[in-house]
Amino acid sequence: MIGLLLEGFTVVFSISIFPLLVTAVAGGIIIGSLPGLTATMGVAVLLPFTFGMDSTAALVMLVGVYIGGIYGGSIAAILLRTPGTPAAAATVMDGHALVLKGEAGKALSVSAISSFIGGFISTVMLITLSPLLARFALRFSAPEYFGLALFGLTIIASVSARNLIKGFLGGLFGLLIATVGLDPVTSYPRFTFGTINLLQGFNIIPVLIGLFAISEAFVQMESLRQTHSNPVRDLSARCLISVREFIRVLPTAVKSGIMGTFIGSIPGAGADIAAFVTYNEARRSSKTPDEFGQGILEGIAAPEAGNNGVTGGALVPLLTLGVPGDAVAAVLLGALIIQGLAPGPLLFTRSAPLVYGLFASMLVANVVMLFLGIIGIRFYARVLQVPKRLIIGIIVFLSMVGAFAMNNSIFDIHVAIGFGVIGYLMRKVDIPLSPIVLAIILGPMAESNLRRAIQMYQGSWSFMYTRPITVAFLVLAVFSLVTAIRVKQRKQGD
Amino acid sequence: MKRLVSVLVGILLVTALLHAGGAAEDEVDYPRDDISLIVPFAAGGGTDAVGRALANAVENYLEVPVTVVNRTGGSGAVGMTEGATARPDGYTLTMITREIVSLPLMGLADITADDFELIRLVNMDPALVAVQPDSPYESIHDLLADARENPGDILFASTAAPNFYILTIENDQGVSFNHIAYDGAAEAIPSVIGGHTDFTIANPGEMIGQIEGGELRPLAVMAEERLDALPDIPTFMEEGLDLVSGTWRGIAVPQGTPAEVGDVLEEAFANAVADPSFVEFMENAQLGIHNLGADEFRTFISNDTEVIRSIVDEIDL
Repeated sequence: MIGLLLEGFTVVFSISIFPLLVTAVAGGIIIGSLPGLTATMGVAVLLPFTFGMDSTAALVMLVGVYIGGIYGGSIAAILLRTPGTPAAAATVMDGHALVLKGEAGKALSVSAISSFIGGFISTVMLITLSPLLARFALRFSAPEYFGLALFGLTIIASVSARNLIKGFLGGLFGLLIATVGLDPVTSYPRFTFGTINLLQGFNIIPVLIGLFAISEAFVQMESLRQTHSNPVRDLSARCLISVREFIRVLPTAVKSGIMGTFIGSIPGAGADIAAFVTYNEARRSSKTPDEFGQGILEGIAAPEAGNNGVTGGALVPLLTLGVPGDAVAAVLLGALIIQGLAPGPLLFTRSAPLVYGLFASMLVANVVMLFLGIIGIRFYARVLQVPKRLIIGIIVFLSMVGAFAMNNSIFDIHVAIGFGVIGYLMRKVDIPLSPIVLAIILGPMAESNLRRAIQMYQGSWSFMYTRPITVAFLVLAVFSLVTAIRVKQRKQGD
Repeated sequence: MKRLVSVLVGILLVTALLHAGGAAEDEVDYPRDDISLIVPFAAGGGTDAVGRALANAVENYLEVPVTVVNRTGGSGAVGMTEGATARPDGYTLTMITREIVSLPLMGLADITADDFELIRLVNMDPALVAVQPDSPYESIHDLLADARENPGDILFASTAAPNFYILTIENDQGVSFNHIAYDGAAEAIPSVIGGHTDFTIANPGEMIGQIEGGELRPLAVMAEERLDALPDIPTFMEEGLDLVSGTWRGIAVPQGTPAEVGDVLEEAFANAVADPSFVEFMENAQLGIHNLGADEFRTFISNDTEVIRSIVDEIDL
């Protein structure tokens, strides 16, 4: 294995591949950082260009964009409060709070370092533990997925600590949105109002663009008249975190990276879920949980290590079972098919050089990402100095492009604008946006798997207490709720 | 960032221009402009793969660029509706799939195959029944016998709801399975491998990797002939079951397209489907080539419509 991996490195550092890898990671960071453009979209847009490439170059390019894109999402989340990708939605909370404190540089460096740690750990686990992770993932059936989704939904309580009731309202709204489209079991159209555009429900990307990016543009427009001074114009002189701070966040980042890998290896659970689950866990295990949301470094380290942790995990089912772990892996599967390679258990033996070339390029891509992330901080942070009017214009323009580009759909632009207005109104009445996103991501997963489980057990609910993993998730869900309520009570006691 | 934005804007403009299309075309002078091919499913899937390989191959014969445009949503309804209502000038082609038959019958789309001028049927993938390697079922008859003894107990991992493959079998054999509806083969296959469901039915291209890797074991294929890639696996016919079923993909243009344009396209696609590069791609990806001209394609669709109509009437959606 070591020999194959070394061979992989030789390929990655060859003159034809390495520049491509660096360009792909840089391109991924840019795509991810632009509000509205996501890592999934970047990979999908590039897929047709791989048609004429050789298979190693094709995979290196797509994986580079993937890794860069998942990290890049955090940049806009931190600086502009508009997550570049759904996976960065959890980073908004503490990331932007730090920017408001004038510590943008710190926030960005924690994000780059944690993303690297998460991505690197994940790739190492992919290389060494793939078969084991695959067996773990295969133990997930409908009841387990339902447990995971239900546990994920309880995170709503912990990301809406300021006001639980408003958080739950947001969550319920998200669940309602998630019911639109064909019923997953009977294919009966629900709330589609006779339009075929809603048959598959609301597409998460334009909804997210509307809720975060466009509503942020509205809020900014409103403040144009009130104040001319940008409160965060002043950049922290120190761009990097101190060694002490690094040591402080390291355990969180490592733990989140490992959790992200496990979540990524379960087909159907991706970077967005990992980011929220790791944020929740960091908060639960923290000695100062009430500092989360106020700008704590761990609040960035956890979701960023968690979502990049998915990058390796998501390839586990793809490479071992031939089934995609998330949306990006689905596009990679398409790339493998176009290259004439049948993904599946035999890929390791039949195309070992290709697989190890992929592993090597993922390790190198993570290092390149860290490097570009750190040297880029001063550059990214300048975004804060760009006149607000210009920023608003750019955000709105990119939002339209991003909403359209995912499905080449004008309807999705309308969806983005509609949810922009909804998001703006939500902010006005102080309903947090993260619970809405969580519910839209997890609602369909919870619903279809609960119904599948009941169908499998022919109407019985016994799976709720007879399956160990399901029971574990249900216990975690209760735990997560109790912790959130306790934190809130303690706050009120102060 | 500037460059990326300009590339994106470029893509948008080109797409917009393609949709705007040329005005009055001189039939003899077709094609003059770029052609777009609407693929109603996402990049990275089977329909997308066939569409891209075909676009690549047909460019040589049409001598203009053919660009794939993914228009997803509504199980293909969104893209196919757009394709059917596009300007009938031969510059917007659509990859139509079996959903053009099933969706309108289920009341989920307003367009039917009659809204298209058919060009060619390109691909057909038979349905393949597969179980976990240590499953007790050694043949399709074992599975059916167990279903007769324990109606509604055997767990079937369905790749879509409703699933026309299993309904064909159930209606013909008078058996019933417990359908667990998954969102596509990518979800259904792991549930069989993990032992959570008893069997699934999908297309060979979706399972060949797992079959060759020993994670799945095929029982029988719902085709007229055995698959080249799985020569030991019997057809349903050989097992005494007169059942053939599968999914298919073809090329069509909006109703009202000039016949001369249709002829140019039919010939170009006939050549493209026979093109060695396309044939090699389809073989590698385990996708079956089924090359039928416009008239045969029309008959093929009306036969399939009857099959699906009888199932839809039966299940009473």
